[in-house]
Amino acid sequence: MKAASKVGFVAIVGGCATFLVAATIFLFTIGQPPLATLAHMAIYAFGDGYSLSESLVKATPILLCALAVILPARLGLITVGGEGQLYFGALTGTAVVVSFPAQPMFILLPAMLLAGAIGGAIWSGIAGLLRAKCNVNETISTLLMNYVAVLLVSYAIYGAWKDPTSLGWPATIPFPKAATVPSVFGTRVHAGLVVGVVAAVVLHIAVTYTRWGIALRVLAGNRKVAAMAGFDFVRQTLLVMAIGGALAGFAGICETSAIQGRLQAGISVGYGLTGFLVAWLSGQHFLRAIPIAILIGGLIAAGDALQLYSKIPSASATILQGLLFVAALGAGGLAGRRNARHG
Amino acid sequence: MGDALVRLSSIRKQFGSVVANDDVSLAINAGEVLALLGENGAGKSTLMKILYGFYMPDGGWISMDDKSVSFGSPRDAMAAGIGMVFQQFSLVPALSVLENLLATFPDAPWPQPRSSSRVKAALRWLIRLAPNIDPGSAVRTLSVGERQLVELAKVLNLDARVVILDEPTSVLTPAETERLYGFIRTLATEGKAVVLITHKLADVAACADRIVVMRGGRVVDEARAEERTPGALVDAMVGRGALGSLSPPTPPSNDLPQLQVRGLSAEIERRYVHNISFDVAAGEILGIAGVSGNGQFTLAEALAGLIPVSAGDVVLRGVSIASHVQDGAIPDDIAYIPERPLDNAVVAELDLALNLALRDARRLTFFPAREKIVQRARELMERYNVRPAQPAREASSLSGGNLQKLVIARELSGKVKLLIACYPTMGLDALAAQAVYREMFRQAAEGACVVWISEELDDLLSYAHRIAVIHNGAIMGIVRRDAADRRALGRWMAGKAMEAA
Repeated sequence: MKAASKVGFVAIVGGCATFLVAATIFLFTIGQPPLATLAHMAIYAFGDGYSLSESLVKATPILLCALAVILPARLGLITVGGEGQLYFGALTGTAVVVSFPAQPMFILLPAMLLAGAIGGAIWSGIAGLLRAKCNVNETISTLLMNYVAVLLVSYAIYGAWKDPTSLGWPATIPFPKAATVPSVFGTRVHAGLVVGVVAAVVLHIAVTYTRWGIALRVLAGNRKVAAMAGFDFVRQTLLVMAIGGALAGFAGICETSAIQGRLQAGISVGYGLTGFLVAWLSGQHFLRAIPIAILIGGLIAAGDALQLYSKIPSASATILQGLLFVAALGAGGLAGRRNARHG
Repeated sequence: MGDALVRLSSIRKQFGSVVANDDVSLAINAGEVLALLGENGAGKSTLMKILYGFYMPDGGWISMDDKSVSFGSPRDAMAAGIGMVFQQFSLVPALSVLENLLATFPDAPWPQPRSSSRVKAALRWLIRLAPNIDPGSAVRTLSVGERQLVELAKVLNLDARVVILDEPTSVLTPAETERLYGFIRTLATEGKAVVLITHKLADVAACADRIVVMRGGRVVDEARAEERTPGALVDAMVGRGALGSLSPPTPPSNDLPQLQVRGLSAEIERRYVHNISFDVAAGEILGIAGVSGNGQFTLAEALAGLIPVSAGDVVLRGVSIASHVQDGAIPDDIAYIPERPLDNAVVAELDLALNLALRDARRLTFFPAREKIVQRARELMERYNVRPAQPAREASSLSGGNLQKLVIARELSGKVKLLIACYPTMGLDALAAQAVYREMFRQAAEGACVVWISEELDDLLSYAHRIAVIHNGAIMGIVRRDAADRRALGRWMAGKAMEAA
């Protein structure tokens, strides 16, 4: 226990130090004052109410996509399908809105959100079914299904669902008020964040303290022994993949409804993949994913602000994000290895 | 014996509060096979790992050629001519035999020139030990016995004068064991000092010159091999009288078959059993003998219902139990002790408490009471002597013998109608093995059908009511114990059907 917390401490301090050094070198190279720029980024990310709300907006889909990775990981499955599930959820949720735009809010909003979650669950469930029944590697299938989902959305918005009044811009009709996810605190932060945090807590309790959590651990550890104890791999695989997909699909329809206001290309700026990285940074831990997702959300939001105010291309924020991931994962790995050797 | 090659004096080693070696003194002579005998946890391996530089002693000193030495690492020990072959091998499975041998030279990992002299030097021992191993073949294609010989060649290549073998026969087939005994004798004849760490009396009888018995971290007996009877050695190992006599359970009162196996055929990973039929009465112990790898594992899994059968049926008290795991867990009245517990019976990443609760896992409440699970685990571990008795430890941290005891605690603590035991005493010392047999016999006495798969022909002949022999996936024959004769069983095990019987 003590050794483990020491490893965590070394990993955090080492990771931060490595990131600062790497970021300094990078910013210096592109001709920006390193410390001032990093300080600006911190302010743009969390400095005031508006910055914080923008960071939380970005953190919401990242958190939900991270949860969609962590839950299957508890069963030993590695999925990279957050992006595709997010897009497919956006597609199915939008289908409800496009089909019944005139329904009142108390019908339309729940139906839309439910459809989005079910869409994500189906998209992820297909990969789960292939894994459980035909032993198809879930990492490959979810990766490939990402492309299909993104292109299906493109197909819809360039084709049947294209808004005739949008002057050729590929997008659906704007969502009516009845299909807009309510915001909280009067900002752009929407109810999806609340759902994400609650889901993380509930899932954490479920996998840590319940019989279901034991079943997942037994199945992840030894499928044969699990069969002797009566735990069904097929059912659990479908279940975790579907729940994960539902969360990512929910993120997709929330993003479409609350942030974009219509279905269009580029509803996600790599949220699925970022969620995957957050899941790994958290050590596949539901609660730890929350602060990490908010941190990464802040980094992305700060990148946008940086471009706006400091004329630094926002790609440099993506580069800094990459440096952060590599530093954190590398330091964590090294600390663990060092501990294994000397402990 | 002033001319001892290596002398360990007053060695003391403590792990936390556990004293592994307490004032141990030992002489190792050139040209002699020293058997270091003792139960699991007697401190044999710890002592030899101190000599090998793997652990630092907390007290005492080591001398070699009458000069005081101190080894800070196995590298130092190897340089001084001490080599050790561990139970877990240190070969790279993906590399060839030759590459593995080259990699042990002191100047590895720098590029290894494959000049003919170099290769010759690397292979000089292997050619003697096992001329039939192709040096170009990858290590992963070798059998366990062959790997052990490569490991031994690796140690000998470094001109080891002291060769330490840690439980070398525990993973070998009888034929491989015989061959290894031969090599051990040859090495001693050539002037090497050989230390054989073991808990098997057969090893001692086959090749030891001198015996040192350890118990509880101390040396309790030392003698020439011919001076001690097996009985005296057992007494020294476990303490006089600790190993009580064990009587086989009384034969069943009637022959009414409770377990009926009819024409059973099944397959896992190209290991078959074919058309197997037998009956077991309530309270009867049917021993299944045979050379390992002749379908025992497949038979056990098929009887336990864990794999689909391709033909035939298994009927327990009138109910078919074949292939039933497809509908759910193993029924509560069937206990199954599979071989290799780490692979087949426990979840390595799970703690001991949950591993012990697995049989009841489906019946736990949705929020299981952790204290209850831990409490029950504590009781079982106490009763079955699982060490260390810490329910929160991960199963992977337990030794093989203790894992075996853990599985037996889980499977045999309840009342069962059918017990399938596959090598239940593998890795256990005499005392623990006897405890396992007691539990098995208790189940039989209470009316369970027992199918006991074992390689220990002596034990089968002492305790089983009937003995069947499996060869190449088929039952060669079944005899009652009183009618069994070793030679006939041996012929069946070799695949020769009883002539005109």
